[in-house]
Parts: sequence; C-alpha cells; structure tokens
Amino acid sequence: MTSAKEKDVKDVAANFDFHGEALDTIFDTYATLRSKCPVGRSEKYGGFWFITKSDDIFAAEQDPETWSVRPSMMFPPVTDAELPPIDSDQPEHTDYRRILLPLFTPKELKKLEEPIRETARAQAAEFLAKGSGADASYGYARPVPTIIFSNLAGYPEEDWPKFDQWVDDIIYERVERPEVMRAAEKAVYDYFDNLLDNWKDDPESSTLIDYLCRAKINDKPLTRDELLRYCYLLFLAGLDTTAWAIRAGIWHLAHNPEDQQKLRDDSSLIPMACEEFLRCLSPVQAMARTCLKDTVVRGQEIKAGDRVVLAFGSGNRDEEIFPNPDKVDILRQENRHLGFGGGIHRCLGSNLGRRELVVGIEEFLKVVPPFTPADPDQKWHGVGPLNIKF
Amino acid sequence: MKVCIDENLCQGHARCVFFAPDVFEIDDEGYANVREGMENVPADQQDNVRKAAANCPERTIIISE
Repeated sequence: MTSAKEKDVKDVAANFDFHGEALDTIFDTYATLRSKCPVGRSEKYGGFWFITKSDDIFAAEQDPETWSVRPSMMFPPVTDAELPPIDSDQPEHTDYRRILLPLFTPKELKKLEEPIRETARAQAAEFLAKGSGADASYGYARPVPTIIFSNLAGYPEEDWPKFDQWVDDIIYERVERPEVMRAAEKAVYDYFDNLLDNWKDDPESSTLIDYLCRAKINDKPLTRDELLRYCYLLFLAGLDTTAWAIRAGIWHLAHNPEDQQKLRDDSSLIPMACEEFLRCLSPVQAMARTCLKDTVVRGQEIKAGDRVVLAFGSGNRDEEIFPNPDKVDILRQENRHLGFGGGIHRCLGSNLGRRELVVGIEEFLKVVPPFTPADPDQKWHGVGPLNIKF
Repeated sequence: MKVCIDENLCQGHARCVFFAPDVFEIDDEGYANVREGMENVPADQQDNVRKAAANCPERTIIISE
C-alpha cells in the first residue's frame, strides 16, 4: 500500500516546475525532493528528469560526453535554434566560446570598473529622486545591466527602451503565452539582422558585436545565421540574469534590515553577501541537458535521449554541502555554489555579472537611505516590480 | 603547505584570486595559475588559500600539508 506521504512526494515530483508561480514555494519543493526523491521525473513540459543534489549536478556538469546541452540548455527553449555557445557541444563549443572568452577575464573587466560604478551611481541617484515607494526593479536593477551590457555589446542607446519588453516576453511569457514569446523572438532576430546589415569594421571600436563579426573559426567568418544566434543568446544572457540578481539582493536587504545595516556599516562584506544572494536567490534555478548514453544517477536509470534538468537552485541549498542551507547568511565563508553553473559551460559572463551585482549593491546602499518593502507580497524571484519605502 | 591547480579542471570562475590574490593569478585567457614562487605557500597566506579552495566551484585547487 502506498502511504499518503509517498503519494505526496510523487505528486511533488510529477508537478515539479521551476518557472512562474512555482518559484514562490520552490525552496520547500527542493527540500522535499532532495530528501525523498533526489532524482525523479516531472510530467511538465512533455516530461523530464530532474537532479537535485549538488554532487550529482556537479558530476553531470563535469561530464559533457554523457550530458549534451543540445538542443537547448534553457528549458523550455527560448527559440527553436541552437544558441552558441550554451547549446553547443564540443568541439564547436570551444570554438564559439573562445571568441569572447578573453573579453570576460578579470583583467579585461578592470577596464569596466569605473563605467560600472558611474552607471550604478547615476542610476541610484535617479532612483532616489523618484522618492519613497518607487520601484527598485524598473528604476534600478534593470537599467544598470542594460546600460553596462549594451555599451559593452554595442547596442545603440536609442534602442534600449525596447529591451525590457522583449526580455519579459521571451523569458517570462514563454510558458504561459508562447505566442507572445514568438513575436518577441522574431523582433529580436530582426533587430540583430538589421544591426548586422549596418555593421562596419571600425578599428577604433571593440564591442562584443565587433568581436563576433571579426571572428574566424577554421579561417572562416561566422555565417549570418551563426551571428544571429550568438547575438540572441548574448541579448538574453546579458540583461535578464543580472537584473534579477540585483533585484533579488535588494529584495533580501529590504526584508532583512539587520543584514542591510551590517552591509551599510561595513561595505567590505558586500562581495561575500552577493555570493550568498547568488547561492540562495539565483536567476538561474535550473538548466537542461540531454542524456547521450544510458546511465544511472543515484540509482535511477536514465535513457539516452531523455531530457534532464539540473536543478542548480536545489544543489545550492543542499544540506550535505551547506550547513543551515536555507538561511541566507551574508557572512558565509565557504560558498561553493553553482549560481553560474560549472564545467565547460560555466557562465561566460560570470565575472562581469558578479561585478555588476557587487557594485550595484554598493552604490545603491551608498545613495539610498535605509529601506523596507513597500509591498511585502512582491516575490523574491523574477524582474517584476519591487517597491521600497525609504 | 603546497598548492597547485589542476589546469584541466579550471573554468575561470576566478574565485581564487578574490580570496588569495597574492597566490593566484588569472592568465589572458581567463584561467587560474599559482603565481611563480607561491607553490610553497607562505604562512600568512595559508588561510586565504584554504578559503580559495573551499570556494572553488570546480574543486580544482589541490592543497598538500
């Protein structure tokens, strides 16, 4: 006989989802799954396996020969095409990734330190001027990465106002309203097609688009199709994730005035606090793989061809790795989280994203006086409104 | 204390240079190395190196004491 509890766990597994409202209670879901069903099967999105323990996720990340990223790491996908380099297996992955890798090293990013800080400071001042009750998401967390990344990538300033809506439609509407996603997907491809049509090789310019257009793989430039897919990926990766991370940091500090005061009293704690935001409130809760050969994970057989979701957000709260895992502990010293993934597909922009988050929080706290939530019902996740009182 | 990095595993997260910038460095391609002469870790850097190892997402820093 199946006990009520076992049935509950089966329900939790079968309904496991990591988008939209499911995120409201996902940390409880993770805890249930880790203890009762660490590898299991959800019936959502046509069915997929999920892996929730940190060590199992890490092992999969280190084994790209068993776990392919094709046809899409994002799940459900954000487009039909495979996006380089996140949806590319080796050897193509290495070729694609190498084009931009040197631009995202800590050394290169030092050059961006002042522009990041100036942008954050100016945006914080603009936000402050809106007054108590203003929305720190649309008023700060979103514009900061839009400005920084658009300058780096080479997106003209007059186009920036269109970006938020495209990101919202592609990332956040794809589950409930796929037709909205499709329209935005087309708009973004058309936008980059036009940008590439008008691209000129100016030796003084060194944007990400310039690097992509000048790049050669085996002596051949990238095709227009490859360029478009790469641009589409950068557009989504550079804007949404960082906005979420900054918003989530502000959300935590609004809800936890003691933590906020600690960071105000000692700003040298901010980088460590940001690691904790990335561990606990990460914009990337899960990424997908496709199993290439029959394998067994924690006793569960998984067949070649099956889709598998690596639940980073669960691994980041694994009690076997992190003591008191559900506590956001801004002083946590050992923090080997998977907020940026790991292995060969480690987030290419992690060093940039990290700097934007840290500097974004530093400048916000310098400019904006102590703040609390204006609407305590606004959730920790996503890039929607976050109104604060100060 | 001796330290080395398994270069095949490093993916360039750069956490090591955050915790122990005097011991580790990142090359032009974005991967970590132990700075020349730092393979034998000076006493005043050992705590930093332990923190770097504990925070490396790829578990690529090898310490022998």
